[in-house]
Amino acid sequence: MSRQQAIKFLGDQGFIIIFVVWCVILALATDSFATSGNAFTILRQASIIGVMAIAAHLIILLGDIDLSAAAVMSLCGVLMAGLIVRNELHPIAAALLVLGAGALIGVANGLIITWIGINAIITTLGTASILGGLAFIYTGGKTIYGDPIDRIEFLARGRLFDTIPVSVIIMFVLYILAFLMLRYTTYGAHIFATGNNKKASWLAGIKVDRVKVQSFVLAGILAAFAGIMQVARQGTATAGMGADFLFPVITAVVLGGASLQGGRGKILNTLIAAIFLTTIANGMILLGVSIYAQRIVSGAMLILALSLDRLRTVRV
Amino acid sequence: MSKSMSVHAFLEIQNISKTYPGVQALHGVSIDVNQGLVHGLVGENGAGKSTLIKILAGAETADPGGEIRLKGQHFEPATPKDALVGGISTIYQVFNLLPDRAIMHNVLLGQEPAKRGILNMKVMKSETVRVLDMLGAGHLSPDTLVGKLKVGEQQVVEIAKALVNKSELLVMDEPTAALNQAEAEALFDNVRTLRAEGVTILYVSHRLNEIFDLADTVSVLRDGEHIVTGDITSFTRESLIEAMIGRKLEGVFPERQGEPGDEILRLNRISSDKVLSDVSLTLHKGEILAVAGLSGSGKTELGKVIYGDLPIDQGQITVAGEPFRPQPARAIDHRVIYLPEDRKNDGVLQELSVRRNISLSVLRNRVANRFGILSPKRERQVAQEQIDGLDIKTPTMEQEVLYLSGGNQQKVALGRCLAADPEVFIMMEPTQGIDVGVKFEIYQFIVEQAAEGKAILLISSELAEILGLAHRVLVMHDGRIIADLDTGQTDQEEILRYALGDTKDKVTTHMSGE
Repeated sequence: MSRQQAIKFLGDQGFIIIFVVWCVILALATDSFATSGNAFTILRQASIIGVMAIAAHLIILLGDIDLSAAAVMSLCGVLMAGLIVRNELHPIAAALLVLGAGALIGVANGLIITWIGINAIITTLGTASILGGLAFIYTGGKTIYGDPIDRIEFLARGRLFDTIPVSVIIMFVLYILAFLMLRYTTYGAHIFATGNNKKASWLAGIKVDRVKVQSFVLAGILAAFAGIMQVARQGTATAGMGADFLFPVITAVVLGGASLQGGRGKILNTLIAAIFLTTIANGMILLGVSIYAQRIVSGAMLILALSLDRLRTVRV
Repeated sequence: MSKSMSVHAFLEIQNISKTYPGVQALHGVSIDVNQGLVHGLVGENGAGKSTLIKILAGAETADPGGEIRLKGQHFEPATPKDALVGGISTIYQVFNLLPDRAIMHNVLLGQEPAKRGILNMKVMKSETVRVLDMLGAGHLSPDTLVGKLKVGEQQVVEIAKALVNKSELLVMDEPTAALNQAEAEALFDNVRTLRAEGVTILYVSHRLNEIFDLADTVSVLRDGEHIVTGDITSFTRESLIEAMIGRKLEGVFPERQGEPGDEILRLNRISSDKVLSDVSLTLHKGEILAVAGLSGSGKTELGKVIYGDLPIDQGQITVAGEPFRPQPARAIDHRVIYLPEDRKNDGVLQELSVRRNISLSVLRNRVANRFGILSPKRERQVAQEQIDGLDIKTPTMEQEVLYLSGGNQQKVALGRCLAADPEVFIMMEPTQGIDVGVKFEIYQFIVEQAAEGKAILLISSELAEILGLAHRVLVMHDGRIIADLDTGQTDQEEILRYALGDTKDKVTTHMSGE
């Protein structure tokens, strides 16, 4: 293998090697890591980050970044809890309203970016702040809780055939759908083309603005859904409930090999990276590492992810 | 200065190879360059000229097995800095200047006269003035910001840097590519001045006129191999071209067949901002209509407004008698297609496969079903059709376009257009920067398309191509069409005269029609 091929391989698959090494270390160092129970725990913990990462993956494929995803998740989470607890809505009706809200936020993001022409980072930074504020006003800064939330608990704690967690099934199904959509639909092809070269795609007859708006709408719906899953997991909802997700989600997508320049990325690698990140957190808890040291590791992971991204883009 | 006087040539390139993933750019190239001469280096795009320059400049490293010797010494620059210290300066097509710094800071970059870290401004200025004077640019003030200079003046600053560096070998890569005629003349004077000072110049160009004007000796590269080196006087224009393309020159244009039929496209009094005013034209089925003009004449913009790449302020366009509001997606639905001028950036998507590039405009109509689900089989068919029809040279259709030669990239762009089954084909500079061989294939393609009844609007800066291919030519000047000529009854001089309008000081080298 030549040096160039080695660099390319490291850039594309390097994180998988680290993942395997990390798992071996944990399996040797702890008794509890390599058990099927722990494997499902990790996958369950990964499910929400995983769903969020699909949204981030779509937007990063376009060469943009969505900084509002965590705020959408928070607002939609408190809305979900509020609608079923305060307004006593049926969970399905509440979920449809909340997903609709996520879609609407996506429309707003998409139109600001394409019509007004503000770049995605600034736009979503702005909408993130607005949505965060709305979430606090809606909750009055208080935690929303109540018995009706139990009715959606199965999303987090339910198990199919008493073994496979429902949340894990949801995650895998969404990834399979995203994979098929990206590979076998016109829309998926148009995302890759637009992310690769927006001007050339437009000249080739692709309605690039429409592709962007559609993608932000999908991202909004997915973030809203992640919010519902998080409410189900916590049994409560607070205005800041999504805040911790932004960072690992973007880390997962970049670690999985999607290029921040757009046009390049494998959705299944994003899934693996999301599981990997959760495994790191899980392993550190098993090893008894303090929560503060975990933040150091998270930061290091992001930088590692970006370094791999650099390796990929170096033209040798 | 004759070769027999010294054992070693000034620069000896011995058995240099360079392999990129999937491509061998240089294949055991050996060339001697003698001191104090202007040594021309010619070859088609992709012949390996740029790679060789980059190796000399320390921007690339050659494969093991070869050697470069400078004044008899082993020379292997690992970085651009090494090359500079070794006495080799390279001036690339894209300059390496700091636009927000003054001329003197640029000229003396990295070798500022200073004492204990404090710049000696007086010496900086005088040194800068000295070298500028040598280069016939004494009128430039050393304090002027480089970003405010014209292209030709920026190039003078680059040459001044080389002089300050006391470089013995100056490598110039297509130095006239961005210059107008007057600037180019000034450059030629400077090249001669440098040669008189004893500087050796490796002059890379595909403009043969310049090579014959300037060079003492010339080397030809083709497909990464060294073909021949000799005194310029031992070559004729024809023999040099033959060495470059490896066969006899097919200078003739393919013969047109058939005559124009019904009207298909009409522009009625189109104006756009300040670049087009009151432009009207009609284009017929089976017609090749050329548009000529200098840069800034509006010919490029004319192509763009029809496809929606530039907004229209006034006027109407009709396609097949129906009113048409330009926009790319809509244009394709109306079977109007457009080959962009900037092939690399706009014509193809570099990091996508050949297959996807070709199918891109017809994914919805020809590849997907009505639910938007793509059929990989149909997509491969669409791509294969064009790869066969246009003879696109690619190992597989999954290859990223980025690894194809310029000519084949252009064929991919043409293939994408053709897959959309257009009736009106707007071609912007279809052969610009393309090898002679592929150029001829594209000419053939244009003529065949017209014979099949397609209407072609050929926007071109090459007068020979316009006269050889088109039925009619519209000449533009200052945003207006000022002549509508039958190509059978006009010549380059007449077109050029119209293109110049009334002013005579705007000639650029782009119209030379070489």
